[in-house]
Amino acid sequence: MLRYILLRGVLALAVAFTVSLAAFLLLNVATDPARAIAGEDATPEVVQTIRVRYGLDQPMPVRYAQWLGGVVQGDFGESYYWHKPVAELVAERAGVTIALALAAMAVTILIAIPLGVLAALNPNSWIDRTALGVAVSAQAVPNFWLGLIMIILFSVTFPIFPVSGDATWMHFVLPAFVLGATSVPAVMRLTRTGLIEVMGADYIRTARSKGYSGASLLWRHALRNALLPVISVLAVQLGQKFGGSVITESIFALNGLGRLALESILGADIPTVQMLIFVFAIVFVVMNLLADILNAALDPRIRIG
Amino acid sequence: MIKLKRAVGSTLFAITLSLSLSTAPAFAKKADDTLRVAMAEEILNLDYNYTTKREYIILAQMTDASLFDVDPKTQEIVPSVASGYKFIDDKTLDVTLRTDVKFHDGSVLNAEDVAYTYNWIIDPKSESNATGIIGRWLDRVEVTGANTLRFHMKAVYPLALRDMAQRIMLRKKDTYNPGGVVNKNAMAQKVNGTGPYKVTSFKPGQEVVLERFDGFFGPKPAIKKIIVRNIPDIGTQQAELMAGGVDWMFNVPLDLAQSLGATPIAKHLSGPDLRVSFVVLDAAGYTDPKGPLTKVEVRRAINYALNRGEMAKFLIGGSAEGIHTACHPAQFGCDQKSVDYPYNPAKAKEMLKAAGYPNGFPLDLWAYREKPVAEAVAADLTAAGIKVNLRYVKLESLDQARANKQISAYIGTWGSGGTADTAAIARIHFSDETDRNLSGDAQLNKDVLAAEQTNDENKRRELYTKAVGRIADQAYWAPLFTYSANYLVSPELNFPLDSDGLPRLQNASWK
Repeated sequence: MLRYILLRGVLALAVAFTVSLAAFLLLNVATDPARAIAGEDATPEVVQTIRVRYGLDQPMPVRYAQWLGGVVQGDFGESYYWHKPVAELVAERAGVTIALALAAMAVTILIAIPLGVLAALNPNSWIDRTALGVAVSAQAVPNFWLGLIMIILFSVTFPIFPVSGDATWMHFVLPAFVLGATSVPAVMRLTRTGLIEVMGADYIRTARSKGYSGASLLWRHALRNALLPVISVLAVQLGQKFGGSVITESIFALNGLGRLALESILGADIPTVQMLIFVFAIVFVVMNLLADILNAALDPRIRIG
Repeated sequence: MIKLKRAVGSTLFAITLSLSLSTAPAFAKKADDTLRVAMAEEILNLDYNYTTKREYIILAQMTDASLFDVDPKTQEIVPSVASGYKFIDDKTLDVTLRTDVKFHDGSVLNAEDVAYTYNWIIDPKSESNATGIIGRWLDRVEVTGANTLRFHMKAVYPLALRDMAQRIMLRKKDTYNPGGVVNKNAMAQKVNGTGPYKVTSFKPGQEVVLERFDGFFGPKPAIKKIIVRNIPDIGTQQAELMAGGVDWMFNVPLDLAQSLGATPIAKHLSGPDLRVSFVVLDAAGYTDPKGPLTKVEVRRAINYALNRGEMAKFLIGGSAEGIHTACHPAQFGCDQKSVDYPYNPAKAKEMLKAAGYPNGFPLDLWAYREKPVAEAVAADLTAAGIKVNLRYVKLESLDQARANKQISAYIGTWGSGGTADTAAIARIHFSDETDRNLSGDAQLNKDVLAAEQTNDENKRRELYTKAVGRIADQAYWAPLFTYSANYLVSPELNFPLDSDGLPRLQNASWK
């Protein structure tokens, strides 16, 4: 197990560095960072001043080598826009994204698992079809559309929640719903399929013969086993929430990593983009690893490593 | 994606507007004398000496005062921190300072502070965004008394006072290099300015809170507190406006501004803007030395082919109008008597035929800004027989391709930094020192530069008239239209619209 975790850790680092190199090349090829920072009406003098100020007049390999050298020593460089160490910037913003991701997962669990259970207990009924319909709709609706609808309904028409910002927990309700909705279909379908399979298993029949039924059968015997694959999917979904909150954070003006990523990409703030990609890649791989470990821990039949 | 979001947002707002109106909350924040402003661009640095973009100019107008100021009504340069000035000769300027100018920390500004600021900015070590612009004409500033200074200029430069009014924000002595240690970010997070508002709180990328500075030497602003919020999504900004969380937003797309402006929730204001749009043509033949664009008849045909009036009316709206000059009609020296090419697609076709292109020719047209405008230009040119390949790209990609001389034609825009003078658009586009100049016209370069080497207004006007006339006659550009600045504001707010298009929030007041 330890060897497996170490191997996956090395893999995570390799993925992170590869992705950061790709991002560095793409950003430099697709745009001129000095011009992006200077803005639309900048004169050539301003662009040149910025180029020199941020060392963008150095050849690309030199700049990447400098960045890499810094990373090895734990220094991810300084943001072109924020004029502060990128690591500090990311640490400041991470809280909002972690809170949003966790809240979104809570929304997913609260909606998807009851829906999945309902659908599984009433297969091929109108309840099943309605649950499936809700799940598919949630997947089909783009984040920005759902976000605007939520704002119009619950912030403007019925002013219950604030439109934007991240000052209080109330600010997280709508974004968490929007971000959480995208994971509902996967979790709901997996819950439904798992539960249908489990409900037909021999040990459930045995449990019934012992007199278990209804909620106690569901909680004590069926759901515990049916949710095993769901837990690993939830871990992966949580990883996706960290890197996938760009649109949601922008719509709701949440000052998290997603919005930082969007602004940094648009403004060609290369050091920030590179660290964010590095962090997102690590989080994603770690979450996958966590899913594997959780599966192994919950189901003794599974062995990893 | 962003365009799609805007389209969806627009539709959603239109559909739900009636529903929203029934429960719209109370307007604005007149009661607590707080103006809430939405900006899409993240505010990360409070020091305009180290920034460039529009949002930062708007902020600097509030936090800083400069030696001179632009009169919003007349657009004339008037003393501000300076109490008077006198040109000793063409390259020497004496400035006297007011004695009642205070920094936000309460200290009084003196000549040493002003001299330090200017000398720092022109020092290459400063790496200020203003270094190139000011360093072009300013040699050094000398303190000649407690409140008097002498500016020694490298060259005659007619826009010196304007640059001093718009580009340099005054700082206390040694701000950027206390004890000899350079700190370019000294004012980035906590600015100590001399303007009518002081910053009381700043969360980069989120919010700037400004409060009226009681020690300000000029007229006191009417509104006590201004909160600038960074809200990246225009749809969210509108929702905030509808919910009463925002009182002022700018750069609003016309359709959205009109739909909300027609309701009691907000007022749509449309003011002038010095930004102009145009098509630049590779007359010099950088991309193809014998290409069709090197022929003046072809370039004129392109001018005839474009329906600029309708583009202005339907795609920009408000006070936007078609132009036929390579400058904004409100700019000094922008002579409107130069050759006009009224929309005439039939004539465009005839001219192309006469130039040897009866079946048109392929043209790569680059664009980066408003897609509908790019599509309209492409459609008009296609109607004239030109086979347009529209290359809609990011600005930085266009800039890069232009620097590499790979662009045969592009749709550009220029805001002139809010300067109502042809100098602010001519040099950057028609001198030899810029890659934006695709004319390859040595005489034009000479005239444009000569106009910046004299303080004689008549001479300057004459030179710009000649230059603008030559550009039109040779059809180096196909000018398109002026822009219009669209705002959505609280119905409770008085917000003046100035002719240079610069939003001056410090002059806003409640009704």
